[in-house]
Amino acid sequence: MTTRTAQWIFAVGTLSSAIVLGVLTVDTNRQMATLTNADKLTDEVVAGKVVFQKYNCNDCHTILGFGGYYAPDLTRVYRTKGEAYIRKAVTEPEKVFATSFRHMPNQRVKPDEVDKLVAFFGWVNNINNHDWPPQDSKQKGLTGTSRLLASSGISMSEGAALFKENNCFSCHSLGGTGGSSALALDNVGSKLSAEQIAKQIADPRSVNQAAIMPAFMNFLSAPQINSIADFLSKQKGGK
Amino acid sequence: MPVTYKSQRIAYPYFVVALCLFALQIVAGIWLAISYAFTLPQGLVEALPFSTMRAFHTNLLVLWMLLGFMGGTYFMVPEESKSEIFSTKLAWFQLILLTATGVAALVGFLFGWTKGRPLLEIPFPLNMLIVLGALVFLFNIGMTLLKARNWTMIQGTLLSGLVLLALLYLFGVPFYKNLSIDWYYWWWVIHLWVEGAWELITSAIMAWVLMRITGVERKTVEKWLYVEIGLFMFTGLAGTGHHYYWIGAPDYWLAVGGIFSALEPFPILLMVWDTFQHTKHSKSGVTNKVVWTLVIACSIMHLIGAGVFGFIHTLPQVNYYTHGSQVTVSHGHLAFYGAYALLNLTIFYYAFPRLHGVERFRTNLGHLGFWITLISMSVMGLAFGVAGVIQSYVERVFGLGFMTAQAQMQLWFKVVIVAGLCFAVGLGIIIYDLLSMGRRARAESGAVLTQSKGAAAV
Repeated sequence: MTTRTAQWIFAVGTLSSAIVLGVLTVDTNRQMATLTNADKLTDEVVAGKVVFQKYNCNDCHTILGFGGYYAPDLTRVYRTKGEAYIRKAVTEPEKVFATSFRHMPNQRVKPDEVDKLVAFFGWVNNINNHDWPPQDSKQKGLTGTSRLLASSGISMSEGAALFKENNCFSCHSLGGTGGSSALALDNVGSKLSAEQIAKQIADPRSVNQAAIMPAFMNFLSAPQINSIADFLSKQKGGK
Repeated sequence: MPVTYKSQRIAYPYFVVALCLFALQIVAGIWLAISYAFTLPQGLVEALPFSTMRAFHTNLLVLWMLLGFMGGTYFMVPEESKSEIFSTKLAWFQLILLTATGVAALVGFLFGWTKGRPLLEIPFPLNMLIVLGALVFLFNIGMTLLKARNWTMIQGTLLSGLVLLALLYLFGVPFYKNLSIDWYYWWWVIHLWVEGAWELITSAIMAWVLMRITGVERKTVEKWLYVEIGLFMFTGLAGTGHHYYWIGAPDYWLAVGGIFSALEPFPILLMVWDTFQHTKHSKSGVTNKVVWTLVIACSIMHLIGAGVFGFIHTLPQVNYYTHGSQVTVSHGHLAFYGAYALLNLTIFYYAFPRLHGVERFRTNLGHLGFWITLISMSVMGLAFGVAGVIQSYVERVFGLGFMTAQAQMQLWFKVVIVAGLCFAVGLGIIIYDLLSMGRRARAESGAVLTQSKGAAAV
């Protein structure tokens, strides 16, 4: 190979790739307005992004998968954990994560800042990003359950499957598996009846005004909630 | 052989500051690993949040590596252009400015003064000081080259890498209202740095060092340099797309990112092949064996860490499950160590003996330090990798929740702590060796002289 050929490889390689990047950048900026619902970027959402940056949330949590890997991804936190939970976790992390393996600092976020933060997460939740992350994807949640069933060979009731698919494990635990920011449910069946449990799941604030659990009547049908309640009412074994 | 041009000495303080910051980076890193492996009390988490220490760890990395590159440039340019640096006073000013800005940024992080964007946490006023430092640097180097009128291809590559680096930094400065657009341009800094501008700098420095230590003809080195950087740019520029899969960007990025980044290992492979060719056709006996080892290690680890580990999770089908997990961390550590930490060590081990004015130095400590860091970083990379696979399965494939997955990964974070401590020991040996090699070499030759005098007297 001559130096001349080498120079051509350099020029063509660099230019062609730069053109691809340049052209696609123009188009991406145009399309992203729709994909991210830029029309819903209200002042409050933008103010929420400022709050998110002010407290450096992103160096522990990822959002859209980028940032620190120390704490859960926040892309879909608005849907999976709900507004009440976000408020409680941000303002009183020392209580919410008291028994957790990993703690979250209380950054003394002001009440109006929390409102903005919630608006920001609400907007992020609707970004159309090929259904990432898989752990918070409804469709992938179903696949995950069937994979789990296939690999373990155990049979699972409908209620148990729904319990898993709806991310209950991210706050509650059963048999030591799951999160610690809400009650462990190993013994819930000996405390509450199936009806009481169903009421709690459907609309937690009808039972306890201060509850931070999302109201699942917004996501699930009554028969689905009943089968989860049925499954949980049989949990009488634990501590 | 000591330095040829007096102004090359300005590289020394740059390297010393870089080494100090490197050491600090490791301390912060070990703290992060401890935070992962153990439950820290709430009070400690609030006094010293993980986020702050992560900002330390990553900003120190960028700062020490940039100072290393800049020092390396000040060392290399006089010999390439055959002239003194335009102004050593400006170079001193620039070093003090950048170091002071860096320290101010770190202290600011401790008190919550941050822009809150990962890796680009440095707040706006300090951004401006960094831009000023970069402009002073480019002016100084540009004036040196203009006055020397001795243009070489290696210099051209180095300078375009540095200009590109400075220009891209500007994309990280503004506030973006839209989170997705924010990440789009965030990658213009991060990705186009490490897979664009920094690769240009690496290629130029590696080509120069290879030419120097092997005596291979300039023409041959430059020819391959053209091909390498052509391929780096071809795969790297459009390869930015592998960061755009899940940010709310159009579908075509899945294809563009997937294809271009699948090709990214090729230029690195060429670099490895090229390095081996040059070392095989070496015309001069290599006196500095540590540089020899580092050059080869850098090309191989660059290939493994950046090429192979990057390739492993760059395909969208895989990346869907591994994106933003410890797999990313594994790739990040191996790539930065393999491509850029080893490159800096190569520069240091080439320049330090000459800056100390010693002909020969004992290589045992250099080799020992290098091997300790290499082995501990490899173990660390693998531990992060195993943790990442566990996380991808437990959290993402089976959907069992973030903390359930983290609980299964504890063992591997403990391995990371041990590997980090070993790395610190290796780095300690390297720093001691680099800083004291001149004194030790002189003491030794002095001892030999006294001995031979004594022998003669008998």
